[in-house]
Amino acid sequence: MIYIKLFLEFFHIGLFSFGGGYATLPFLYHIADVQKWYTAKQLSDMIAVSSITPGPVGVNVATFAGFTTAGILGAFVATASVILPSLIIVVIISKLLEQFKHNKYVQSAIYTLKPAGCGLLAAVGVDMFVNNINLLGMILLAGLFFASLTEKRDPLFYLGVSAIVGLIAGFFNWTA
Amino acid sequence: MGGGYVILPLLQSELVDKKKWIDDNELCEFYALGQSVPGIIAANVSIFVGYKLRRTAGAISAVLGIVTPAFISIVLLAKILEEIVHLKFVQSIFWGVGIGVLILIFLAVKEIWKKSVVDKFSCWIFFITFILSACFKAPPAGLIILAIFIGLWLQFARKIERGEK
Repeated sequence: MIYIKLFLEFFHIGLFSFGGGYATLPFLYHIADVQKWYTAKQLSDMIAVSSITPGPVGVNVATFAGFTTAGILGAFVATASVILPSLIIVVIISKLLEQFKHNKYVQSAIYTLKPAGCGLLAAVGVDMFVNNINLLGMILLAGLFFASLTEKRDPLFYLGVSAIVGLIAGFFNWTA
Repeated sequence: MGGGYVILPLLQSELVDKKKWIDDNELCEFYALGQSVPGIIAANVSIFVGYKLRRTAGAISAVLGIVTPAFISIVLLAKILEEIVHLKFVQSIFWGVGIGVLILIFLAVKEIWKKSVVDKFSCWIFFITFILSACFKAPPAGLIILAIFIGLWLQFARKIERGEK
């Protein structure tokens, strides 16, 4: 049954993603690859919408992926199951707060986990880059990159600029 | 709006200054801990705060509070998008936005890098995970479990070295 599969997939995202909302993306990307519930292109659209919608990106994108897979009930199952591991783990840790903070094994595992989460996300970025970019896309990307160097900007800025460029490019058929 | 990293100032003004549910030190601690456990940081922080105030019931209410607005707005947007996504100009917009997403991912990598790649060893972990994932399509959960074992093994080796039991 699709809902049980959704539960298992999103529960495992909640359990293994380290580094916040964007850290869930490698898992969602992997699902696109294996389960074929949505395509990598659809996932990219979901990330865009999730980044400018109120609420944490990780929750938004899980809800969206669940909705795309199995409608409103799918969205509900995906959201609940991505949050459930957090709820269980954080409640347990709250009870054992002092032991958790000072445990050397826990600290050492966190020390290796975080760069691993980072590496996974970088791999998604490179994969998306290689699979769907053309010359105009590269020019746009370079422009956005330089804009990001000069000051810290809202996601809305990057997505707004790229949406406008996309609209114009589409008009002249440059998006192929 | 945005990721877990932008909510800190918001939490500070709401939870610390206005409601006085927690103090600055607790907020910093919960925020740091929220990044050290799996899952979405904003949700983790809210669960820590909820648990501190009202135990498990508080934790559940806090997470519902974080998730509900996100859930409603995404379901509404997804429904609208379903209707219009086939239109040509919408496709063009999403083509552009796909490039914007690449920058957002790059910035997220940069942000997490700053907090996670602190020395040579963690840099190795980053590149090994990156290569196994990008070139060999290794499942992410497997790589995370591997990283946990390396971390535990590191600490174990340190203990042996010092001759402790």
